[in-house]
Amino acid sequence: MDYIISILTFSGITLVGVLGAYLVTGLTGLFSFGQAAFLAVGAYSSAVLVTNYGVSFPVAVVIAMLLGLIAGLIVGVPTVRLRRDYISLVTFGFGEAIIAILNNSANLTGGAMGLSGIPQYTTFPVVLISVAVCLTIVVSYKYSKYGRQCLALRSDELAAKSMGINVNRLKLTTFLLASVITSYAGVLFAFYTSYVEPGAFGWVVSAEWLIIVFVGGINSLTGTVISALLLTSLPELLRFASEWRIFIYCAIVLVIINYRPTGIFGEYEFSWRSLKRIAARGGKAV
Amino acid sequence: MSRLDVTNISKTFGGVRAVDNLSFSVDASSIVGIIGPNGAGKTTVFNLVTGVYEADSGQILLNGRDLRGLPQHEITRSGVARTFQNIRLFKGLSVLENVMTAADPHSTYNILDVLTLSRRKRQREKQVKELSRDFLNIVGLSHLENEKPENLPYGLQRKLEIARALATNPKVLLLDEPAAGLNPSEVRDFIDLVQRLHSDYKFSILVIEHRMEVIMTLCSHIYVLTFGKLLASGTPSEIQNNKEVLEAYIGEEDASCCI
Repeated sequence: MDYIISILTFSGITLVGVLGAYLVTGLTGLFSFGQAAFLAVGAYSSAVLVTNYGVSFPVAVVIAMLLGLIAGLIVGVPTVRLRRDYISLVTFGFGEAIIAILNNSANLTGGAMGLSGIPQYTTFPVVLISVAVCLTIVVSYKYSKYGRQCLALRSDELAAKSMGINVNRLKLTTFLLASVITSYAGVLFAFYTSYVEPGAFGWVVSAEWLIIVFVGGINSLTGTVISALLLTSLPELLRFASEWRIFIYCAIVLVIINYRPTGIFGEYEFSWRSLKRIAARGGKAV
Repeated sequence: MSRLDVTNISKTFGGVRAVDNLSFSVDASSIVGIIGPNGAGKTTVFNLVTGVYEADSGQILLNGRDLRGLPQHEITRSGVARTFQNIRLFKGLSVLENVMTAADPHSTYNILDVLTLSRRKRQREKQVKELSRDFLNIVGLSHLENEKPENLPYGLQRKLEIARALATNPKVLLLDEPAAGLNPSEVRDFIDLVQRLHSDYKFSILVIEHRMEVIMTLCSHIYVLTFGKLLASGTPSEIQNNKEVLEAYIGEEDASCCI
């Protein structure tokens, strides 16, 4: 049971981080290859504040999210003006720069040795509530003027501008919201594993998140949520296959992308009405 | 003073003078046409007015305010709406959401309202939805509001573009070949729609079109462009009898061609 709870907790934390990747990449169509760096910002800043400076946990959470916001501003302000492919390069560079800083400021962060002895404040209920709150925020964002404008911008930037949308500002807003959410996931991560090291936040993690968004369905939040839970727990479920599990994982991802290029859910979004519609259609078919 | 006043604008791309010292004006609540052979620079004029490109020189005044150099979204917000020659609807959004997106920049709620699910946001969302439904109703698409725009037939996509442009609350509406690809009955339908909108909303309309039926019925004044320059301007009947215009369009009369 503990084992299952721990998998679920970890999946929940990943899901919160992936929601950030969804906002930037799924909703707005900007490839962020450095999303995991915000996870590092959140994790390290909160961990250092609590373990080294004795700051209380809630205050550390707020400061960590603020630092995530500032980091988002530093990357976001210059990058939103760039073309899409350059954005992925800049965010990639930013991600690796953060890792390098963590590795080299050993007296504060422990360098490559990492930082240990972080108290374990992140429990399953905490993660559950965090997921619910973050999900509500992202759903509210998607079904607001911001979400619609993001989708419009992803589909056709020129037409979006000529509908009166301030494209750069919209990109920045989305990017900042994503940064804050992902930094918060970083806090959850640090206070769950009680040990952080720079290697856990590299571009591989960012890439994994992009895979999750794409497998779920680039446009579908439902898909992102389900594939986040599925793909994070999959390596654990495949543990019986020992060294074959990464191979199986890759095979599953490749098969899905090949046969459903728009992801498992495409543009489908879960709602009671759409569920009823499907039920009604199924009834007719029978 | 006229509503849209364009004086001496020019635009060069490399060595090509796409628009050369062009002036024209659109009076409040009038329909003005721009015609000319392919490559005459008609769409470039639209792109200059809406800020896609910045004019190299000249002045573009909307109710006396200079638009030149403003970013695209501000030009739209100050009252210039357009449709596109090659339809540019938003994929991934429903028909209704396409229209809502154009009304959204006028919504004043902010990111905090979104995070806290405030009442201000929910009320405004409802308002925008109703407003957009009205616009869909006007162009006759209200029964298709949940469809994806790419699944609509071509003629309806054109109508959706117009509904979307209406939602930006324009003072001047620019239509770029709105009747291209429509069949004759759809064209008549379209002419009715534009006349109806024009009398209901009192905005000025500037229209580029190759179909003479559309131009001659709708427009009170016509500008003819060739190679980025103004060739002629006048009322429909003046243009129809202008020898230079006929030459630009169909070439000089050649005795050997007459049977």
